[in-house]
Amino acid sequence: MTEYLLRRILQSIVVLFLVTVFMFALVHAAPGGPTHVLLGPGMSPEAMKIQEHNMGLDQPLPLQYLHWLKDMLTGNFGYTFKNHIPINTIIWPTVGNTLILMGAAWVLSLIIAIPWGIYNSTKTYGISDNVATVIAYLGFAIPSFWFGILLQEYFSLKLNWFPLSDMWTVGKQGDIGNLLWHMVLPVTVLALGFLAGYLKYSRASMLEVLHEDFVRTARAKGVPERWVIYRHALRNALIPVITVLGLDLPVLVGGALLTENVFNWPGMGREFVEMALAREYSVLMAITVITAVMVVLGNLLADILYAVVDPRVQLGKKGGASV
Amino acid sequence: MSQLPPLENPDMTMATETMAAEPVDTTEATSGPQNLWRIALRKFLQNPFAVGGSIVLLIFILTAILAPWLTPYDPAKVDMLHTNLPPGADGHLLGTDEIGRDIFTRLLYGGRISLVVGFAVAFCTVLIGTAIGAVSGYFGGWVDVILMRLVDVMNSIPLLFLNILIMALFGSGFKILIFVLSVTNWMGVARLVRGTFLQLREMQYVEAARAIGVSHGAIIVRHLIRNATAPIIVNATLMVGGAILSESGLSYLGLGIQPPQASWGLMLSNAQNYMLTNPMEALYPGLCILLVVLSVSFIGDGIRDALDPRYRVKISQRRLEQWRERFSKSRT
Repeated sequence: MTEYLLRRILQSIVVLFLVTVFMFALVHAAPGGPTHVLLGPGMSPEAMKIQEHNMGLDQPLPLQYLHWLKDMLTGNFGYTFKNHIPINTIIWPTVGNTLILMGAAWVLSLIIAIPWGIYNSTKTYGISDNVATVIAYLGFAIPSFWFGILLQEYFSLKLNWFPLSDMWTVGKQGDIGNLLWHMVLPVTVLALGFLAGYLKYSRASMLEVLHEDFVRTARAKGVPERWVIYRHALRNALIPVITVLGLDLPVLVGGALLTENVFNWPGMGREFVEMALAREYSVLMAITVITAVMVVLGNLLADILYAVVDPRVQLGKKGGASV
Repeated sequence: MSQLPPLENPDMTMATETMAAEPVDTTEATSGPQNLWRIALRKFLQNPFAVGGSIVLLIFILTAILAPWLTPYDPAKVDMLHTNLPPGADGHLLGTDEIGRDIFTRLLYGGRISLVVGFAVAFCTVLIGTAIGAVSGYFGGWVDVILMRLVDVMNSIPLLFLNILIMALFGSGFKILIFVLSVTNWMGVARLVRGTFLQLREMQYVEAARAIGVSHGAIIVRHLIRNATAPIIVNATLMVGGAILSESGLSYLGLGIQPPQASWGLMLSNAQNYMLTNPMEALYPGLCILLVVLSVSFIGDGIRDALDPRYRVKISQRRLEQWRERFSKSRT
């Protein structure tokens, strides 16, 4: 176990290191390099020189990389270009706002999906199961931003039940009721996306367990069906579900990009798009690195969780790379 | 079988009879590969959802190709005298938008963009993914380690963020969009091909081929890739839908297709600004995206059920991966 843990942690560190190399290479591979990206094609060569010197871009690349890596590791993301605002003060509040939104959608979808999926596994191809299948297909195929716009048109503009966008009504910052009221529509959009996956997943996982020998044995020795399902099968079916939850932790941080933009929710996704349109590439890199860290940690956590929950996992064989 | 199509083949017993469960070297199978494909085609045609999806997709493809003949208008033509017309008015089938462009026309031309992006990206991801997966799985060793770390790195950055970052750096537009979506989506195919290769490269027929001096390239192409064809096709089909969703999302954000070109995503972002004056405008482009993506996923599932990908790794694992793949693509 310890050896497995150490190996996985080491692997994660390597991947994170490679992510930073990749990001750094990407920005420097852009046509004209970072200065060009920032200042646009119309600048004079002198301005470019000065800019390059100010940003330390006239140093050798590996040195630049090490400087940048050091800054990232110490959480010093620098300043925005245009207004010279510390990037830290921009990013971290948006991380919180995103987490509120995604967390709510996630919990809501789990509360609905797991019991429903399990119920459907016991009555496959019944009405309830078919409804779930339709929801799952829609959840996969519907463009989330379109769904959001439709909700806005109907529930905000037509019925006037919920606010059109934003996180708070002006002047009511900090009022929980106001926040919840603003959350209803975006959470609905996000929850549909989660629901699609979790419904199918909990059903499939349960079905698989119901086909196993120990379930047949339990039935054969006369254990009541409810008992078979809730005591014998359910526990085992939840193991892969737990893993998926771990894998989805990072999605909580990065996943609401479009929805946030539709509802003007001040989260990471909206910030990211705004900064992309403004070409603030240091903010983009900072946010991308943060999301990558979350993804890698989430995967690591999922692997550990899996190993802890399921004693059957052969620790030695589970190369983390492919999870 | 005529029920709703199972998203993930719930009964494990299904569809095994169409293809041998063991990997078959199709070049030497006496029954011939055509036979298997014909059986698969028959199974596909028996699936009403797959057939329905094919028909809908075909209609979209035809209308996109025939767009100039189906509508007298120019998709980018501004007509300030006829703005925000309701559907049916003045010969405008679905009305006009806030600067008088014919919405139906823009839908047709937007369909061109979306479909071309979808198919081009699916094609390119298969090429890139197969090449990388084949090299990785066949040669193994350090090559494999390096390539798989690359896959890990790419998978660690949320797709939409990576796409936007690259578009911000390299510029936006039609060609760059296809390029960006292709280089950020090949990991699924690569892993799948690699998995098949790892499984098969020690098989005796491969060893025999190697022993009589068949070159690496020929072994890869003739003996190994064929065994991964079925899952690759399924993956590519689903990728069409994923790429269309990504394209419309990026265009909606203003980072993909640029005006005055028409794109469904772009039309939606437009429509959102005029929700009060023209609420119907938001309905059509979204519906088009939904229909196309839904059709494609019906087709993909139909193909999967018909071909029954032979790489039967532990089912839960395969399911987990497929599910994650689709999930991460749809939830943008």
